[in-house]
Amino acid sequence: MEPQPHLRIRNLSVSYGAQEVLKNVSLDVPDRKITVIIGPSGCGKTTLLKSLNRLLDSVDGVRIEGHIFIDDEDIYDPRVEATHIRKKMGLLSQKPQVLPMSVFDNIAYGPKIHGLRDRKRLRVLVERELKAAGLWDEVKDRLHEPASRLSVGQQQRLCLARGLAVEPEIILGDEPTSALDPQSSRIVEQRLIALKSEYTVIVVTHILRQARRIADHLAFLYLGELVEHGPAAEFFANPRDPRTRAYLTGEIS
Amino acid sequence: MRTFRRRKIEERIFKVLMLASTVVVTASLLVIVGTIVVKSLPALRLSMLVQTPKGGYYLGKEGGILNAIAGSLYLASGATLLAVLLSLPVVLYLNLYTRKSSVLAMFTRFSLDVLWGIPSIVYGAFGFIVMMTLGLRASLLAGIITVGLLEIPIMARAMDEVIRLVPPALKDASDSLGATKLETALKVVVKQALPGILTAVLIAFGRGIGDAASVLFTAGFTDSLPGSLLQPAATLPLAIFFQLGTPFPEVQQRAYASAAVLTLIILVISLVSRVLIKRFTRHTIK
Repeated sequence: MEPQPHLRIRNLSVSYGAQEVLKNVSLDVPDRKITVIIGPSGCGKTTLLKSLNRLLDSVDGVRIEGHIFIDDEDIYDPRVEATHIRKKMGLLSQKPQVLPMSVFDNIAYGPKIHGLRDRKRLRVLVERELKAAGLWDEVKDRLHEPASRLSVGQQQRLCLARGLAVEPEIILGDEPTSALDPQSSRIVEQRLIALKSEYTVIVVTHILRQARRIADHLAFLYLGELVEHGPAAEFFANPRDPRTRAYLTGEIS
Repeated sequence: MRTFRRRKIEERIFKVLMLASTVVVTASLLVIVGTIVVKSLPALRLSMLVQTPKGGYYLGKEGGILNAIAGSLYLASGATLLAVLLSLPVVLYLNLYTRKSSVLAMFTRFSLDVLWGIPSIVYGAFGFIVMMTLGLRASLLAGIITVGLLEIPIMARAMDEVIRLVPPALKDASDSLGATKLETALKVVVKQALPGILTAVLIAFGRGIGDAASVLFTAGFTDSLPGSLLQPAATLPLAIFFQLGTPFPEVQQRAYASAAVLTLIILVISLVSRVLIKRFTRHTIK
């Protein structure tokens, strides 16, 4: 029997007011692999992703039932601090969202709030994470420029580096390439593939070709329901559910 | 064909009307400033800026309005500081700690709107009653508190509007790095909204330094420089009022000179802060 994965979702239901967005979703997310969540727009993909680091907490009228375990800790246990859970996950949003500060400070921000003050160690860390995100060579002479002056593709990699800087276990990507040009999208995809040796990666996308390129494991959400999930090769070759087949052939989108 | 011509004429008429309104507004500013400058020229001299009123000043004798310049600057700075210290926490609380549907937030915004609409003389009267109850006399401190109260709704509502514009995704980005709400508020949201926040502070300062009715009973008036928080302080709007109220044309001219000084102070402060805003906000995300 395989050891239990880090991240387990059990019977998760989320609703906004009367509208049920996720219905009883249970999923084991394999460690150190890329799990891609696919499905048409509005099927609950982003909600699922945001529920993982408790970004739904501040949403009006949200009701969350069920459990999400990270290392056997239920993140919706009232005794658990949201900040502690969020530190374990780096988030890439649809549109890169740099912080209103310099390139350097964008990355140093996380470690600083978690207590790292030493300038020298911060410099080392910033360089390391920028290299991990494949951005160092492009920005090493612009570290003290406003981050908003970088190109959109560079900003997204900066966001990746910023997330890595707080030493997460899991990387969450919410359609992380949707605002990027094809070239930048490729670079981000390559970085995600490179990072899976050390991190568990979960990416939401509605681009099937992207899922084929990067996924080790797939989960198909449809109308808030987890229809099917499994290893990528099997998922694409032999979808079991008729709805998955319909989605893969483009009949539903 | 006919409707097209009609629409074209309509377009022209409205364009002219809009242009006319714009001209009226801009021209009133120029007329106001022009009147003040022209009327004040005969009286405007350096001694006005660096001397306090000597005996018989209001009868046309020697002296200046340094008492009122200093008093107004102290009073408006103190009041603005007080207003910032109260407005910023309110606004951050409303925007980061309460939900959109929160009754408290709705009620607070409603209260601020009502407070904004209350005439400043009412603030003055209220401040006066509080002073009487506490057995205080008119003083710089009482003026600061009253004008501070007057500034709070203006400042808080203006700040609220700009902080509401900070993209939620930016808060999410900071939150997902494990920041607490306070860290997100102070290090990201305030930083992003800084230009708007500074503008809000400026607008409030302008209102505060220019208001006469709220300081009439609370700050009092004196011919000497403000010595302490507990002594009365002169202010420019009241100096203008008193000088304009005399029957002597040369003293009335001094009222216009005082108005010019007041306008200049506001102008200089807006210009300086615009430069500062540029410097401090190079990181703001457009």
